[in-house]
Amino acid sequence: MSRVLERLSTAILEGDKDKAARLVERALDQGVPAKEILDNGLMPGMDEVGARFRRGDMFVPEVIMSADAMQAGLDLLRPHLVAGGVELVGKIVMGTVKGDLHDIGKNLVDMMCEGAGFEIVDLGFNVPPEAFVEAIKEHKPDIVGMSAMLTTTMRAMGYTIKAIEEAGLRDRVKIMVGGAPVDAEFAKRIGADGYGSNAATAVELAKQLISAN
Amino acid sequence: MSERQPIVILACMVFQELFKRHLPPDLADEVIFFDYGLHRVPGKIASTLQMQLDSIKTPSLVVLGYGLCGNGIKGLRSGIHTLLVPRMDDCIAMLLGSRQAYKHQFAETPGTYWLSKGWLESGSHPLKEYQEYVERYGEEEALWLLDQMYQHYERLALVAHSQEDLERYRPEAQEVARFCQRWGMRYEEVLGSDRFIRRLIEVAQDLSKADHEFVVVPPGQEVRTEHFL
Repeated sequence: MSRVLERLSTAILEGDKDKAARLVERALDQGVPAKEILDNGLMPGMDEVGARFRRGDMFVPEVIMSADAMQAGLDLLRPHLVAGGVELVGKIVMGTVKGDLHDIGKNLVDMMCEGAGFEIVDLGFNVPPEAFVEAIKEHKPDIVGMSAMLTTTMRAMGYTIKAIEEAGLRDRVKIMVGGAPVDAEFAKRIGADGYGSNAATAVELAKQLISAN
Repeated sequence: MSERQPIVILACMVFQELFKRHLPPDLADEVIFFDYGLHRVPGKIASTLQMQLDSIKTPSLVVLGYGLCGNGIKGLRSGIHTLLVPRMDDCIAMLLGSRQAYKHQFAETPGTYWLSKGWLESGSHPLKEYQEYVERYGEEEALWLLDQMYQHYERLALVAHSQEDLERYRPEAQEVARFCQRWGMRYEEVLGSDRFIRRLIEVAQDLSKADHEFVVVPPGQEVRTEHFL
């Protein structure tokens, strides 16, 4: 891997937004394809952030700064990715469930999935089950992604899945869930199709769910 | 009366006064309190409680003065003991007095940042974080980070089981509240109750009274998230 992409990964890990932006520009100047900058520079950096956060080696403020650096890089790459005709992998409707206002993790998953070629329809936070149902009707996504950060609000994921079932839409979408209190066992229990323990695994999961379709 | 299993209580410091006030004399010395700080490190609550549990050599009824605490007690193994666990999400629910009271609060204002004696003393609230972040990242970056974390919150609520505690922690809570006005958060005080802790003590002495407000984990099993759903 080229030196500039390695340094870009490190800049993401350090949460250095300005450095990340400079390195993206440098890589573009050197003729590195945008897709490669994304896949081998930005994404590995953010993967590592996710892994360190999970291990307790990185804390929320650092993750926010890394996400911001990632965003800066992605913003610079986006026009090049579009011009390069990167194909759309699928569409995801995403939201933090009712009663929960935490959106840092969800926004990160948005960004990573967008980087992987998904179109994202973000419903924001404190999203009631009905709003998910309406969004499925309106946007016809391949996947619905739900986030919750509290044990008190994760139950709303189950209620949302029920509402989707009752609306007769369950077989039209795959459902993935994530967030601090959520685990694979809970995901299975409420009838989700998958669980992502961090943003990087959420992207992998989304790709798998699409290919299983 | 048949001989009762020994009772050991492992509780968070936030409930120290409540237990001291309500425990009968024969149980007063059977309680061990743990620092609030355990909450700040993932996995620390369970590992600390596990160590304590494993060191109890006589099969006992071990009563936890903890809720699920963000999955903090998930995976705790009962070993040779029976565990009596409040079927509560966290200490806020217990200070409010019931799961219903918490649910009601959540439904009314989901965007509530709760302050309690424990949170105020453990140093984990937006104002303390601001002070830490300024030192580490500088003023501008610190405020930007906190905006990312707290911009959607609507209310800062101080909860305590008694009027005296509300009064005692009011000055500090109001200081935090002034800072949180940055995000338009309003300040409120919510008077909880000692109802739940009294019930916990009652049930500990007669396990047949354990109902939907409790999780009883028999020997050889572990605490699971689904017990609390």
